[in-house]
Amino acid sequence: MGDVLVPQPTGDTREFWEGCREKKLRFQQCEACGHVRWPPSNLCPVCHSFETKWIESSGKGKIHTFTVYHMAFHPAWKDRVPYVTAVVELEEGPRLLTNIVGTPPEELSCDMPVEVVWKEAGEYFVPRFRVVG
Amino acid sequence: MMLRDLKEKYAIVGVGYTPQGKVPSRTALSFHLEACANAITDAGLKKEDIDGIICYRRFSPKLGEPEVTPYLLAQMLGITPVYLTQEANCARTHLFHAMAALEMGLCNYMLISYADNAVSGGRLFIEEDTHGEPPGDLLLYGQMGFTADYAMAAWRAMATFKTGPETWKEIAVAQRKWAALNPRAALGKKPLTYKDYYSSPMVTEPFRLCDACLISDGGRAVVVTSVERARDLKHPVVAIMGLGMAHPSYDVHQSPYLAGPTGAKEAGKQALDMAGISLEDIDACQIYDCFTYTVEITLQDYGFFGPGEGGDWMREVGIGPGGKMPVNTSGGLLAEAYFMGLTPLAEGVMQLMGRCQDRQLGPKTGTKEPEIILVSDNGGVFQSHCCTILRRL
Repeated sequence: MGDVLVPQPTGDTREFWEGCREKKLRFQQCEACGHVRWPPSNLCPVCHSFETKWIESSGKGKIHTFTVYHMAFHPAWKDRVPYVTAVVELEEGPRLLTNIVGTPPEELSCDMPVEVVWKEAGEYFVPRFRVVG
Repeated sequence: MMLRDLKEKYAIVGVGYTPQGKVPSRTALSFHLEACANAITDAGLKKEDIDGIICYRRFSPKLGEPEVTPYLLAQMLGITPVYLTQEANCARTHLFHAMAALEMGLCNYMLISYADNAVSGGRLFIEEDTHGEPPGDLLLYGQMGFTADYAMAAWRAMATFKTGPETWKEIAVAQRKWAALNPRAALGKKPLTYKDYYSSPMVTEPFRLCDACLISDGGRAVVVTSVERARDLKHPVVAIMGLGMAHPSYDVHQSPYLAGPTGAKEAGKQALDMAGISLEDIDACQIYDCFTYTVEITLQDYGFFGPGEGGDWMREVGIGPGGKMPVNTSGGLLAEAYFMGLTPLAEGVMQLMGRCQDRQLGPKTGTKEPEIILVSDNGGVFQSHCCTILRRL
């Protein structure tokens, strides 16, 4: 596995990835208006409050959309096609780019319920999702 | 001052082409210079007349070349402009910038240029950080580039209203027919049937290779000036009748409008309002077609048809040669060449000037002779939209 498949936290995403070390999917919630946001930032885009806390997500959501890669655009993914990238809409509201695993791509559709599963990557676990129910 | 006061006050007076497609051993700068010099000559101007330059879009240079900054372009064109700027990302606002600078009296002749050696340089348009997320995270999940991002939008649309390959094949096939009439078109000699469309290799489902635009070497430039000045120049006057823009700005991976309405809805409304016309007055469309679905959702958001009615509308009305609403008459980004928004804009201008030879709208292609053409431009993944309505005076 190459380095590109290991998380590279930034000043904004460090807290998120720290949670992922312990298999906790966490998002920022605005202390002032309650908006749960992604990607992480220092400012609430709804009310411009800087006050924020990290909440743990249920890890449940649904597939907002997805695509099936039949070609690889990077050497690290060359041997993995076909694979599925998706945007999962979590119960708490944020939409997260991720992978759907465990279901043949041709059986997937938008709005399917999914839950988080964790894939070890270096010092972290990367959140991916599988279809439930 | 209202946008409406600028109706038909400015015009596009020259178009510059270069060799295009796969043109090895050429720098991006050389395409810029050739497109610009040709646009100036085409307008019947001298380089000394040009006092404003807008570089369409910044890209990291390929093949170890110097970056084509606006400074470098001005220097190598031998022009010292009063107005000089370049878009870093994809907000397709060049005509607004041009008109604003002209309206302020800062300059008289604005040159807008785009060029790249994308084929020769192996640019896949996946290396830019346009996503507001660390590139590392994108690689982590294997999400790479616009073909996948737009495929995600297209799949959300398939879950929302009646669309899919049945609709998109109409766009790919019709545009290939236009390309066959255009000697410059990269895919002009490769006809596309419905069957060919379905056997085109799947790239990022639901998109096949035929749903995606070209990557091109080459460049394109246009010159913008006042209608008053345009009347003294070479070509029939093609005025900017209407302009509209909207920037919903959401990254595709958080976007709530993948199935529309995109910025096209608001931008289209603004442009029609400025022009004082309705969709019935439009004779043809040049729609930014980075992917087939982009054409569908743009026409849908403009109001040409309701959600999910696109396929039937295209079959009934006809968007290819002989059709009642010709769309992307050069072959477009799908089949002519990828010069961002300058591919559709240049084609709109050339059609209204009557300079399109075999693909000329009118009796030659069994279509209506055009007076008014709608041109769209779209940046990021539906993050920016600009709509331009052109009229031959």
